[in-house]
Amino acid sequence: MKLTNEEKTAAIETSLRVLSNYNQEKGSLIPTLQQIQNELGYVPSPAMEVVAEHFNVMKVDVYSIVTFYNQFRLTPPGKNQVKVCMGTACHMRGGNIIMDSWKRRLEIDCGETSEDREFSLDRVACVGCCTQAPVTLINDEIHAKVTPTRVEGLLYAYQLDKDKENKKAGEDN
Amino acid sequence: MGKKINLTIDGKKIQAMEGDKILWAALENDIYIPHLCAMKEQQQSPFAGCRLCFIEIEGKPRPVAACTEPALEGMVVNTRSESIDRLVEAGFNLIMSNHHIDCKNCAASGACELQKIAKERKIRLKPKKLVQLDMNLPKDHSKDCIIYDPNKCVLCGRCVTACRTEGTAVLGLAYRGFERMVTTFGDIPLGETECSGCGSCANVCPAGALIQTNK
Amino acid sequence: MVGAATCGRAAGAQNITKVIRDELASRQIEATVIEVGCMGHCYAEPLVLIQKPDNPTICYGYVSEGLASMLVREFIAGDDPCIEFALAAMEVNDFIPTFEDFPRGMVEKKVVMQHCGIIDPENIDHYIANGGYEALAKAIHKSGEEVVSEIKTSGLRGRGGAGFPTGVKWETCRQFKEDVKYVICNADEGDPGAFMDRTLLESNPHQVLEGLALAAHAVGASKGYLYIRAEYPLAVERIEKAINQAEESGLLGESILGTDFNLTLEIFQGSGAFVCGEETALIASMEGEPGIPRHRPPFPAEAGLWGKPTVINNVKTLSYIPHIIRKGADWFRETGTPDSPGTAVFALAGKVINTGLVEVPMGVTLSQLVYDVGSGIDGGKQFKAVQIGGPSGGCLPESFLETAIDFDSLNQAGAMMGSGGMVVMDEDDCMVEIARYFLDFTQNESCGKCTFCRLGTKQMLEILERITKGEGALEDIDTLLNLAKNVKTGSLCNLGKTAPNPVLSTLKHFRNEYEAHITEGRCPSLMCLNLIAYYILPDKCERSCDACIGSCPVESIFSNEDRIKVVDQEKCVKCKSCMDACPPQYSAVVKLSPPELVQEKENDNG
Repeated sequence: MKLTNEEKTAAIETSLRVLSNYNQEKGSLIPTLQQIQNELGYVPSPAMEVVAEHFNVMKVDVYSIVTFYNQFRLTPPGKNQVKVCMGTACHMRGGNIIMDSWKRRLEIDCGETSEDREFSLDRVACVGCCTQAPVTLINDEIHAKVTPTRVEGLLYAYQLDKDKENKKAGEDN
Repeated sequence: MGKKINLTIDGKKIQAMEGDKILWAALENDIYIPHLCAMKEQQQSPFAGCRLCFIEIEGKPRPVAACTEPALEGMVVNTRSESIDRLVEAGFNLIMSNHHIDCKNCAASGACELQKIAKERKIRLKPKKLVQLDMNLPKDHSKDCIIYDPNKCVLCGRCVTACRTEGTAVLGLAYRGFERMVTTFGDIPLGETECSGCGSCANVCPAGALIQTNK
Repeated sequence: MVGAATCGRAAGAQNITKVIRDELASRQIEATVIEVGCMGHCYAEPLVLIQKPDNPTICYGYVSEGLASMLVREFIAGDDPCIEFALAAMEVNDFIPTFEDFPRGMVEKKVVMQHCGIIDPENIDHYIANGGYEALAKAIHKSGEEVVSEIKTSGLRGRGGAGFPTGVKWETCRQFKEDVKYVICNADEGDPGAFMDRTLLESNPHQVLEGLALAAHAVGASKGYLYIRAEYPLAVERIEKAINQAEESGLLGESILGTDFNLTLEIFQGSGAFVCGEETALIASMEGEPGIPRHRPPFPAEAGLWGKPTVINNVKTLSYIPHIIRKGADWFRETGTPDSPGTAVFALAGKVINTGLVEVPMGVTLSQLVYDVGSGIDGGKQFKAVQIGGPSGGCLPESFLETAIDFDSLNQAGAMMGSGGMVVMDEDDCMVEIARYFLDFTQNESCGKCTFCRLGTKQMLEILERITKGEGALEDIDTLLNLAKNVKTGSLCNLGKTAPNPVLSTLKHFRNEYEAHITEGRCPSLMCLNLIAYYILPDKCERSCDACIGSCPVESIFSNEDRIKVVDQEKCVKCKSCMDACPPQYSAVVKLSPPELVQEKENDNG
């Protein structure tokens, strides 16, 4: 994925700002990457290069960390992040069916972002709400006991919210 | 350090330096133990990833990796037994199920550690009962003096070490699990990195994944 | 008090809190509304506890917004405690039974969960009022050696899974005369199906901190970390608050309680790698590396974080420490079995009626857990197996129901205590699919360093996938067994060494299910999607009802000339929506396996 120049600048500026709060001890390396991911939503190459320089490590080593841990994304996430829990309890209660429903409705595969960057779809290992299985997280809000029909409902609710916003934006203009 | 100790491997009484791991004690006394990832310079913190150098030590209930076990005075070691041979063969089969076998066209043929292990232990190169787990990754021809074929890589990590000690540190191990691979920052081709083309990676590669071409 | 741990929040606890606050405000009633942690009765979330003077504290379950405002109206403002909605009372009284009066209460014995869901996790005074930090105050004037010896005598075994004696670990670390040592609380709870650690962190954070402080004092460390998964934001938030409060109260930081004992605690967030639950991988990730295990020895107690002696204990293990120091090793040994003293915390999930967190003495039987605590199987179905210990554990069939559960008996049975995930399965759960699921998990989470784990689990998964698709061969079973044995012996770390357990245990106890998939192309539990088809029984279909058609997300159901509904097998994605939508009085939608049965049925019907 090619980054725009604005995205590159934002990545570098954010990384430098985050790094100014951390010392150069290697123990701070992962917390720094987490902070950058929190702010940007992903960890792009320019950010990794800045981080590598700060901690005086090879940039391929930073790449190796970012590709190792599930938490880090290399590409920008969608505006709305859908995460389907794939823990045991969710699996037993049809987590994969829910995942299929999201894939079908959003027309993207797990780990992808939709064309319009509105949605991204990911799997998460257990979020610890096993008794409410199957669960889906949308932007960190937990939705319990999800069914394929509920998936439709959640998307519909999202569409309504978006319409409302558009209308409001239209009125404000 | 510097003190010599005595131990027995496969019935042969040998001497080793105190602190040396059994693998090196054996190899230096002409006793072959299959191995891919071990590097003597790193024997104090061994990588221990290839899981081929299994041996039995008398008094220990389970097989252990020779690269991680220090040689001790009076130790009695066996490198061959039915259960050890089976375990080593199983490990070797797994590696081969993920190695693109193409000896005929491979520049490393003849100098290949995999061929050597197969010959020493009389194991078929192509495993019988396992499916071939090919990732079909593209070969990297971008550097004129090095060809990198990730489908042959056995993930021993030796090239990464070599690239750091003798080269320009462009290689690293990235991703996780089955997708783990030797690669560069951002997976860019070697030709676009700071690679100096020193060839130290190809020198240590046991499986013909990195080949130096004399252009 | 509203149960507002992550599970409660998922069930809508925050809305309930708001309704109660609004209702109280509109009536100008003075009452304190507290968001507490989790009591473990997760099946009945959202939960509300009401403490009213002259009344026993009553716990209400399945609280809707309507019920919440009614409770304020009738009970708090009026005097009707709405007994019909009460789950149980928290203390003995004349008119409502307490939790102890139910079979579950009789089996349960709460130690580390005693105050969960009852005290405010964000208020240190609640913890102190219940005996919190007494153990630290007591131990701080004793030598570290005495503390270690008390824990050794107690026989406490690590609750992270392997069951290594905690006292021995501490003693090893204590021996090394180094200026810098570390203590780490391992809260990288990654087992799918386990949420005990999350609950303890969210519901009683100070208990964990006190345990960690005692560990630090015992081994001579002045720096500690809590390694918490980033997926547990609420736990991180509550631990952060708790650390600040403890520092303000002089219970952490410089010269704790006026002594020369210093301890600073810091949170490190795990970034999503199951393997980091393994000690050496956890350390690698704290040192700014990918979480890849190293060869042991040296063990962390000798050379851990930054090469210094380090004690790493699980959240539950640490939570027991304050209780043992306060009440003594002998008290601790009164519960449980001689070799596994104390209690065990299980996350009971799956097909039991009452899911949730339970704390029981070591040595209770599986049947007590499933039937007394969990109230049996949901929906009148037949019990099939219990999966214990997550991806490292195994599936135990009915014949093990009377097995007493402790570390050693589970190992013998081919399962593992693991960190305490317990998923109950019924006749609808396919054992091959469960094995495939867990292997898929470990295979995804394998770090990729060593041959056996990286490729052995991948090969095993390939075979299981073939079998669940009905493409397996009988000789696959032998290959699978051989691979399992070799991965167990050959892998570098415990993730790989235990990964084959789900496969081995299901093959041992449910080999017939594997064979049905292979030889008959049939999934006996009607679970494997490739081997089932949805079919609408013509004689049961009500014709004028279109519930199934409306529910189908891919428009695969149509009406035939007799207005009977028919599933277009080509289009069907097997999502089960139609089966759920078909009104129970008709129950016309059925699953058939093998899928060829559909054709047979259709032929029968002409």
